[in-house]
Amino acid sequence: MRVTAPHLAHLWVGLKGTLEELGVESVPPPPTSRRTLSLGVKYSPEGLCLPFKLTLGNFIEALEAGADTLLMAAGTGTCRLGRYHLLQKQILQDLGYKFKMIPLGVSEKKFLGLLHIFKFITGGASWAKIIPAVLLGLKKYSVIDDIEREVNRVRAVEREKGAASRILRQAITAIAEAKRPHSLREIRKYYLEKLAQVPRNPNIQPLKVMVMGEFYVVLEPFSNLDVEIELGKLGCEVHRNLYLSDWTKFSFFLNPLGMNEKQRVHRAALPYLKRDVGGDGWESVGEKVLHAQDYDGLIHLAPFTCMPEIIAENIMPTTKEDVPVLTLICDEQMGKPGMLTRLEAFVDLIRRRRKAREKAAI
Amino acid sequence: MKVYLGIDVGSVTTKFALLDERDELVDTLYLRTQGKPIAMVQQGLAEIARRLPPGMEIAGVGTTGSARYLAGVIVGADLVKNEITSHAVAALHILPQVQTVVEIGGQDSKVIIIRQGVVTDFGMNTVCAAGTGSFLDHQALRLGISIEEFGPRALESRTPVRIAGRCTVFAESDMVHKQQMGHRTEDILYGLCQALVRNYLNNVALGKELLPPVVFQGGVAFNQGIVRALEESLETQVVVPPHHEVMGAIGVALLVHEEMSATGEPSRFQGFQVSQIQYHTSSFECKACPNLCEIAQLSLNGKVLARWGGRCDLWERTSTS
Repeated sequence: MRVTAPHLAHLWVGLKGTLEELGVESVPPPPTSRRTLSLGVKYSPEGLCLPFKLTLGNFIEALEAGADTLLMAAGTGTCRLGRYHLLQKQILQDLGYKFKMIPLGVSEKKFLGLLHIFKFITGGASWAKIIPAVLLGLKKYSVIDDIEREVNRVRAVEREKGAASRILRQAITAIAEAKRPHSLREIRKYYLEKLAQVPRNPNIQPLKVMVMGEFYVVLEPFSNLDVEIELGKLGCEVHRNLYLSDWTKFSFFLNPLGMNEKQRVHRAALPYLKRDVGGDGWESVGEKVLHAQDYDGLIHLAPFTCMPEIIAENIMPTTKEDVPVLTLICDEQMGKPGMLTRLEAFVDLIRRRRKAREKAAI
Repeated sequence: MKVYLGIDVGSVTTKFALLDERDELVDTLYLRTQGKPIAMVQQGLAEIARRLPPGMEIAGVGTTGSARYLAGVIVGADLVKNEITSHAVAALHILPQVQTVVEIGGQDSKVIIIRQGVVTDFGMNTVCAAGTGSFLDHQALRLGISIEEFGPRALESRTPVRIAGRCTVFAESDMVHKQQMGHRTEDILYGLCQALVRNYLNNVALGKELLPPVVFQGGVAFNQGIVRALEESLETQVVVPPHHEVMGAIGVALLVHEEMSATGEPSRFQGFQVSQIQYHTSSFECKACPNLCEIAQLSLNGKVLARWGGRCDLWERTSTS
């Protein structure tokens, strides 16, 4: 069995670690590139969203590299991504590939469901082996995310542009190679210290910006044209409303125990939107209401043709909680120059707005 | 006397604006880019130099527009600014109480919402040319009318025909259909103006509150038909500034003046001899990773001045800018 899964942020760092511990051969797709996108676009129905096209492209490239078992997110929730595995299976079969598609369904079956999937792909390894291996993978996500949170702050003020990103790349390599939770703790400490030593430009007063919106395009930098890095270059300290490790923590462990981390966000959205509209639309409205005071501006990311985020985009300007929002539609047609012009104008806008407010406060 | 130069290199036209120490307009220039941004910047600089009144010294240069980075490297810009901010600054300079800026250029269109002198929101359309000057150019050509005649002829219309304006492809077939039915040319022309305005309001300006005073700038503001259609749709008077076609250049000149006054540093302007230099542009595919980015580079006498287009900073780091 040669297992693969699409790229999503640093998913493969943890997944590879877990699979290696369990002695399962894995075939990570080559890094998502323009070729991946072209393949995905070529074999996808046009009206589907970028997440479908990129994950399909990842599967094709992994199959070319010899994968035969595909893991794909699945669920009966209100986002159509939950059914993508069915259509992708059909498309890939029509292309003549031989493989087995395993829908993950973790949002319904939680951590136990995940463990059973590993039980299946290892051909029945003992729980004593599976559980530590999975926990090691999950721990890797939380270390990466701790470092990336800091990187997103340092990028805004670093003297030499690209210094923080370079440290992040080194950290990811080290995390990927780590075999013990203990060494992960040391890696975390080492790279956070390294980031603290990055020379800073004292003249930059960073703006605080939150990146939020649809799950996949927020997490996958290829799909959002590296919006976090670009914001960093423009002097913005970036906060994300979701990280892979937060998501695994809640969906695997805390939600089954009855905790609902989204309750606060939903409650905040209630005056403007009373129900789940699918995907992450309800959350996007709630994040704006909840965090209007905490940030200079919000970047709202939405895949083209994503109905829930279109609903959110149209509701957001009507809230009385006031903070500038820039919606960026992520699509294969989106060009980087157009995105940069919008980002630059948006950063000018929020900088001048902050100055005007500071003046008014005096 | 110190003067400040703003250069706006758009996809269809290249604009120059020269401001003096009191932000009064000294000179402007409006050229067709014709797909050759470098040559047009050089040609424009030569023209500006020729017309420059004696005793004037360039104390700052700013660039804006889609080729702002390229133009910035060539002239040695002190400030490179996006066109949205530049247009907003220029509109505020002309009319401090402005609340809405409508800008329709050759290949893109924008709306900028301003409240109490601060930009609060903006919208921009770059993917679709249906709501822009190129659309009008193209349709005028079809009707055998010069773009200069377009506006005055459209104003003669008594009963404008409704033309589908969502997409240039539909608009064109609809227009041919209306011609074959025997509608008068001026009615079709004004119908096109209404279609463009409808398209603009339904796409770029969707969901935005367009409060007066409204300033209309960009090359398309030359067309009185569009001005009237916009006024009818918005039910308000629209202000078209006297130099509406060079507002982006004026905006970036204002910004560079502000910047130079704040820093007190000398300008990095390369001088007017830039117009005589032979720049070399080329591109290659980076093979460092599977992404195969197309890198564009600008060089002078075999020395690379700048590189663009990579997803990572590999090539930007190795350039000298």
